[in-house]
Amino acid sequence: MHWLDHSILEIHQALIQRQVTPLQLVEEALKRAKADEWNTFEKITEEIAIQQAKSLTTPEVNNLFWGIPFVMKDNFSTKGIETTAGSNILNGYVPLYDATVYDKLLKAKAILIGKTTLDELAMGGTGMTGHKGYQYNPFDSTKTRQIGGSSSGSAAAVSSGMVPFSLGSDTGDSVRKPASYAGLVGFKPTWGRISRFGLFPFAPSLDHVAYFTRSVEDAAILTNVLSGEDAMDATSANQALPVYQFSKSIKGKKIAVIQEVMDSIQNPLMIQRFQQTLEALKKAGAQVDFVHYPLSLLQAIYPTYMTISCAEATSNNANLDGLKFGPGYQGKTYQDVMMQARTEGFSELIKRRFVIGSYVLMKENQQDLFLRAQRVRRMMVEALDKIYQNYDVIYLPAAPTIAPKFTDSSDRLSSQYLIADSHLALGNFAGLPSVTIPIGFEQSMPFGGNVMGRAFEESTTLEIAYVIEQFTGLKNLSIQTRKQG
Amino acid sequence: MNVEAVIGLEIHVEMQTKSKMFSAAPVTYKSEPNTAVVPLDLGHPGTMPVVNRQAIINAIQVCHALHLNIDSQLWFDRKNYFYPDLPKGYQITQNARPIGSEGWIEVMVENQPFKIRIERLHVEEDTAMQHHYEGFTLVDYNRAGIPLMEIVTKPDIRNGAQAAAFVDAIRQIVSFLKVSSGKMEEGSLRCDVNISVRPVGTEKFGTKVEIKNLNSIANVQRAIDVEMLRQERSLIAGIPVQQETRRYDELKKETIMMRKKTDAVDYKYFTEPNLLPIDLSKDFIAGAISHSLPLATTKRSKYQTQFSLSEYDAIQLTQDVYVSEYFDRLTSIGNHYKLYANWLLGDIASFLNKQNLTMVEFPIQPQEMVGLISMIAKGDLSNKQAKELFELMIKNPTDPRQLAEKLNMLQISDEIYITQQVQEVLTANPQSIIDFQQGKDRAVGFLIGQIMKKTGGKVNPSLTNQILMKLLKSK
Repeated sequence: MHWLDHSILEIHQALIQRQVTPLQLVEEALKRAKADEWNTFEKITEEIAIQQAKSLTTPEVNNLFWGIPFVMKDNFSTKGIETTAGSNILNGYVPLYDATVYDKLLKAKAILIGKTTLDELAMGGTGMTGHKGYQYNPFDSTKTRQIGGSSSGSAAAVSSGMVPFSLGSDTGDSVRKPASYAGLVGFKPTWGRISRFGLFPFAPSLDHVAYFTRSVEDAAILTNVLSGEDAMDATSANQALPVYQFSKSIKGKKIAVIQEVMDSIQNPLMIQRFQQTLEALKKAGAQVDFVHYPLSLLQAIYPTYMTISCAEATSNNANLDGLKFGPGYQGKTYQDVMMQARTEGFSELIKRRFVIGSYVLMKENQQDLFLRAQRVRRMMVEALDKIYQNYDVIYLPAAPTIAPKFTDSSDRLSSQYLIADSHLALGNFAGLPSVTIPIGFEQSMPFGGNVMGRAFEESTTLEIAYVIEQFTGLKNLSIQTRKQG
Repeated sequence: MNVEAVIGLEIHVEMQTKSKMFSAAPVTYKSEPNTAVVPLDLGHPGTMPVVNRQAIINAIQVCHALHLNIDSQLWFDRKNYFYPDLPKGYQITQNARPIGSEGWIEVMVENQPFKIRIERLHVEEDTAMQHHYEGFTLVDYNRAGIPLMEIVTKPDIRNGAQAAAFVDAIRQIVSFLKVSSGKMEEGSLRCDVNISVRPVGTEKFGTKVEIKNLNSIANVQRAIDVEMLRQERSLIAGIPVQQETRRYDELKKETIMMRKKTDAVDYKYFTEPNLLPIDLSKDFIAGAISHSLPLATTKRSKYQTQFSLSEYDAIQLTQDVYVSEYFDRLTSIGNHYKLYANWLLGDIASFLNKQNLTMVEFPIQPQEMVGLISMIAKGDLSNKQAKELFELMIKNPTDPRQLAEKLNMLQISDEIYITQQVQEVLTANPQSIIDFQQGKDRAVGFLIGQIMKKTGGKVNPSLTNQILMKLLKSK
């Protein structure tokens, strides 16, 4: 097993004991990246990576990210490196500044291997809508299954073993759902914990910087290196970093499972496996209860999400007008140029979302649609708050199915789709820390559970996820280790 | 039919902050195009707005001066539309909750106080500047994101004079608070006029016409007055007034239609998700207000009561904040208040006018100006000499007494010395004494001439005259 297939913490130990060098790690990561079979990359940053790896010669004992290779979703601003967010409208766009999270990782001397595919402008959950085409799921050798999205390439890069961690963004479940389909830990901390400066916005009130790792502890240390108030992001919070106490015992912790979500799931094997993890949590000392959450609110998640996210998205992407950057479009008037840029630059799917967004914001509709969705969002958060008065976390299956096939179509009015396939968005509505961890396999495809905690209680959230990880033993999972294991 | 105009104004004030409303780019007016920008000002993806604290303090100070209620929380909204001067595709403004609401100001119109109610004051960001050429347009983003205040009146104004008085009052407030240069000519203060006419006695408003792109306070008045007339004639002739945007043509002295107003644009306002509401604590608001610089009205009454200046002088001294500040510095050094006022409003003003300079560019330091004026007050300099010295000091700012001495310009007001000189001249000209005694008045002129010749013209003429007369009469 190559060092690359270990956790960040393990690789760090190997680096400081000089069992492996950053250059060796980067060379192996690049080798695997170049052998990519899953359409993972927008761009492999080979030259920069090699140069940086060569400059790292003295291991830094207290810097866990020194020499660790990683990839980022192609919607983080990287100075001098083309960034397209998977959309033709940004082809050739080379940002002028670095996103805060990238800057932090550069300062920690982690090494960027490449920028990964995504659903166009991070809008989508299939990995099928980026301008480079389908993103395949490495766990599926037949290449018939999605990896989910929108942080598709970032999920594939970690689950295929190219890098031990990757950055993505999560507006509805864009990291946590693919994590379930790809056997990974997918974590988004509290909204405001990590600066969003430099993350191309989809819907700022829901957008989070999130990441894939192959262990809960790695998610914890990554949280701490990325967190902190940022003068460039007025919504970033001034909060002390979380302090974690990972232990096999979570005695006294109270865990809520929402009955209505469980009822909407059909796959018995997945339910059974989930119940085994509940037993394990009880054994570790936790109290586990089934609680109720208003069904009408659960059914409203998807429409509420679409209303709010499309409204914000249509405004956020109004800057993409072809006048200032991106491909040069011709036209006699500015209207011509804008029309042409936005007609040719966006796919049909994106245009549909913009139309929805514009429609719900129109004066005559705003009260009925956009503002109503905002009110429903508040009701959902209040209903969550009620649960959190008595419980430390809510624990649920991350998704009702394994990774869908490209040809699958879901019935968007079924309760499985509306509830079990959509509930992760509650974490975005309320901005709560939420982590998906792998809990089992079905048809050789992984699936996960999701722990969601109170605001700024990343520690409790991950400590409980750690107990599940201990029980399943699904740590450092990738197709590399799966083959060997 | 008796008709009246109903007029409301929307004033945009560009603030003179160090950095822009939501970005760290500098606020400058003289930089090369597209150099005072950061990625946010160009609408680059992933950039985020951060509220400029000073701009909020400025807005609070102006709100206070306009008796507006100040909101306890700061909320921002997005105003969405596509336009080449709008890099983000939306403008961050305050729609639902302006920082200031429901205020008023009293202005003087033809020596009568006139109260105008103010609906709101909100804070927003400026757009980029477009430069149109034959066949193409260039965009300068230096202006994009400069903090703006928009002040909207109630429809309380009835004519051009009232509107002009209001705009001038706003100009004075923002310039005395040093929130803005307040210059319409430079676009740092812009005024849009909404105007309609209706028969006197009716409640219903007529069709509203908007006048844009006015470049001076005088033109605000002229444009309103001619537009009132145009609409009035229309109304009387039974031709309905069209809802449209017009501009004022200075040469033709009439308003010209720019575009018809069709259905109003739907800006799809919604709360800016990248800015959480910011609490404006009572302490913060009080602190901002307490740091306000004095307004023109405050200074005016001080000049009248403390320095015994006339109302006219006080008003004249408070037209320009830098003139009044110069006056304040003079009065902090010396106490010849009336003379300071005279010089500022007289010689200094005409010098600046002639040279097309502003007070800030005036080369003589207050300390030196006080020195010059003190010498006049003491009688060391004649007015004519003072003016000469003033001209020299402008070219070469220096201590006036040293300069006067160097140029041998100082008047001699020493009585003993003058008496002695007069005596000597009288002794040398006995015939003139006789002429004087025989009532020939030109003898006095002759003797004065002799004394001046003898002393090189440096003796104080009125004192010399007094002494000569005394001695002549005693002969």
